Amino acid sequence: MTTNTQGNSSRTSGLLPVSFLLMVLLPLLLMPLGAIYVFAVRGGLSGFLATLRQPDAQFALRFSLLIAFSTSLLNGVLGTFTAYVLAKHRFQGREALSVIVNLPVAIPTVVVGTSLLLLWGPIGLLGQFLDPVGIQPMFAPFGVLLAHLFVTFPYMLGAVKPVLDELEVTYEEAAYTIGANRWQAFRFVILPALRGGLFSGSLLTFAHSLGEFGATVMVSGNLRLRTQTAPLYIFAQFEAGNIATANSVAAILATLSFVLFFVLLRFTERRSQRLT
Amino acid sequence: MSIVITKLTKRFGKNLVVNNLSAEVNDGELFVLLGGSGSGKSTILRIIAGLTQPNTGTIVLNGKDVTALPPQARGTGFVFQNYSIFRHMTAAENIQFGLRIRRIPGAQRRQRSEELLDLVGLAGLGARFPDQLSGGQQQRVALARALAYQPAVLLLDEPFGALDVKIRAQLRRTLKDIQRRLKVTTILVTHDQEEAFELADQIGVIERGSLIETGSPEDLYHRPRTEFVANFIGGSNVLTAQTHGDRMRIGSADLPLPQGSRRNGSQMPVRILFRPETVLLQAEPFAVDSGVIVLGQGRITERVFAGSQQRIRLELEGLQGDRPLVGERHYGQRAAQIEAVRPSELHPQFHFVKGQKLWVGLTQYHILEASGFKILICSEEGRGDEAIAEFGFRLAETAGGRSTILTVVDSAASESSTREKLERLRGLWLERLGDLELRIRQGTPIEEILLEVQESHYDLVILGRHARSHETMGLGKTVRHLLEQLRMPVLIVQKPRSTLARILICSAVGEPGKADVHIGGRLASLTGALATVLHVGHPGETPEQRRRAEQHLHAALSTLEAMGVTSESKIREEPALEHILREVEEGEYDLVVIGAPAPRATRRLRWHDLAEQIVKGAHRPVLVVPMVE
Repeated sequence: MTTNTQGNSSRTSGLLPVSFLLMVLLPLLLMPLGAIYVFAVRGGLSGFLATLRQPDAQFALRFSLLIAFSTSLLNGVLGTFTAYVLAKHRFQGREALSVIVNLPVAIPTVVVGTSLLLLWGPIGLLGQFLDPVGIQPMFAPFGVLLAHLFVTFPYMLGAVKPVLDELEVTYEEAAYTIGANRWQAFRFVILPALRGGLFSGSLLTFAHSLGEFGATVMVSGNLRLRTQTAPLYIFAQFEAGNIATANSVAAILATLSFVLFFVLLRFTERRSQRLT
Repeated sequence: MSIVITKLTKRFGKNLVVNNLSAEVNDGELFVLLGGSGSGKSTILRIIAGLTQPNTGTIVLNGKDVTALPPQARGTGFVFQNYSIFRHMTAAENIQFGLRIRRIPGAQRRQRSEELLDLVGLAGLGARFPDQLSGGQQQRVALARALAYQPAVLLLDEPFGALDVKIRAQLRRTLKDIQRRLKVTTILVTHDQEEAFELADQIGVIERGSLIETGSPEDLYHRPRTEFVANFIGGSNVLTAQTHGDRMRIGSADLPLPQGSRRNGSQMPVRILFRPETVLLQAEPFAVDSGVIVLGQGRITERVFAGSQQRIRLELEGLQGDRPLVGERHYGQRAAQIEAVRPSELHPQFHFVKGQKLWVGLTQYHILEASGFKILICSEEGRGDEAIAEFGFRLAETAGGRSTILTVVDSAASESSTREKLERLRGLWLERLGDLELRIRQGTPIEEILLEVQESHYDLVILGRHARSHETMGLGKTVRHLLEQLRMPVLIVQKPRSTLARILICSAVGEPGKADVHIGGRLASLTGALATVLHVGHPGETPEQRRRAEQHLHAALSTLEAMGVTSESKIREEPALEHILREVEEGEYDLVVIGAPAPRATRRLRWHDLAEQIVKGAHRPVLVVPMVE
């Protein structure tokens, strides 16, 4: 009885902590997000659309989407492969490797940008040999892609590896005894089991790539109509005092992120429901 | 012959999992590999399927050597304990997977999967996903999936292990039916003897990677060759009978030895097996002309109700032998333990009550093959070790056991001369021993001896201690290392004795050892030697400690007596070494048995001191017995 009443009372008096939490979160999270939309539509819908119709803005959004898509695709393959090797094979240095591949989460993105410049830049460790033959990976779309691949690498891995770890060895062995070769076992047995992980990993990668700033700003050179991603465009417009232009693109980015996030949320909810 | 396994060996690191195993399975036969956990049975199955590579040996399936082939090319159907049904495929898709890989047209595939669903009793459930099926149903899908592409052999790895009893029984019947109907050669691995009995055409009992015995369920139950199988399968009573001439004596009964089990030794112990359900129990003495072999009058020590039957345990005085219950020997009991079972009845005619005295008799029994003593004699090259080898042979001869002589050489060059020398020695002894093997290994002695002990199961290892190491203080590095690592009885010989008439069993250090009494007793019973149990107590012993020591001595004597050994006991006080050495001299013992306590660092030091001192001071063969458990 005592526990029951205690339970009830704590539930009713929850109003206080909840309102306190809202008071904290409102200026911290909710109001800033709202501000984007408020500013974006200040010039009316026509103004909003006009700013988006500028070639620079168009390019930045398209470029960002293209990079995010390519990053998801490449890291989808690379991350799955890495996860497969790390989960199924036992070799020397496996532990060290699994730490290293997760490292990008912990490194500041600006540092990632710097390190890429120091490797591939015109005077970089490898770049100095490429520069004379006219190959310049940095300050080019390819450099941006490299930076994004680096920064988002762990997300795919993190989504796929737990699924692989849980898959019993006998699952694959069953396929072998039935007659499937390595590729067929992977294609028909392993890969379908990874579908969920692949989907959520790709969405996470996509979302992160879309918003990436620190590393991109270092390696891209922020060249408009060439390497300028949407976040860089927003930053550049803000610097130049074009608040409305910056906000329009920001609103688009924010909306995209929301949509991605909700899809992901719904998906994981459905999966956890199915599992229980 | 559908499956022929030849000399298969598999090691995982230092562990020998499959040990030189050979087996054959006939066409259409259901062969059950029965063994405890860790016996290596699953590894064997995986090797047959190609999922694990053996170190040596070959696998031939339907006349084709598949040892080097990958699992895909072997065409085996494998059923795993955890089902391993593909979760994203429906039952039908799972079954069709093998056909899809083999590019069978869709219509044909669907027809085949319908047939198989029908066969395993899942008609109409083909569209279900695994998470919509019960465990038993999933395993049925797994079975259908393994059968879909008409595999050369069907391999099942504890297929019912994860299911509950009812489902298990149903599935067993299904499997048996299907196997009979399709006549597919099958190997099933299990630890469950009931399952083995119900399913098998042939059972292979496997222990520590070796196939101990193969036979039909009935043969293995009623006529096992070895004591291991007798105890592993079913409840068993094993007693020791003494032979004299072509007859043997057990209890008050005197029976003719069956043909084929006669041996030349005048007084030999033989082990006879009888199953609990064949034991006759009655309140009145058996009639003289009833043909019943009367074991004597026993007292009920326990009656257990076990559903369909009741188990009755009795103690029989005056019978030599012991009843090895599974995993446990009754230590310190003079009386033989007999187990009988009777069907449970709603209105029993006769009530079995604890303490009741009943006459115990037999009409049928089976004689087990002499297990003998398996002795490994380690002979070192070029040190004049023949005397020690001969001591080992004599021991093997008196104990009626088999022996192997092992020499470790350091290079291939010295192998032939060593072999020559050993062959000559063997020639001299072969007639008297019958069973004498030669083994020459190349490498470092410690490692090779450890490997040899792992590969063949010995009861005893004989190591020589050389005059040379007299100069150094200790036992010698090899002997010391082996003592620490072998975990089995090691007989250290420096001055061989020509007879084995008196054995001294010392329980001076550590806890009173049961293992040393057992092994000393076994040797004494095999050789007919007289055993003396010596306890060395502290001068400042409390009465309680004193009492415990006496109790232990009493138990040891009872155990020895039950093993048919004439024995006596002695109590001395510290210092242990001095008393043991004096006793050894005065008593003219031929063998000293000392127990080695569990290897704990502090104890080990002290024990090694004592062992070394005894070996050095006693000039007798010393048997060091590690504590088991």
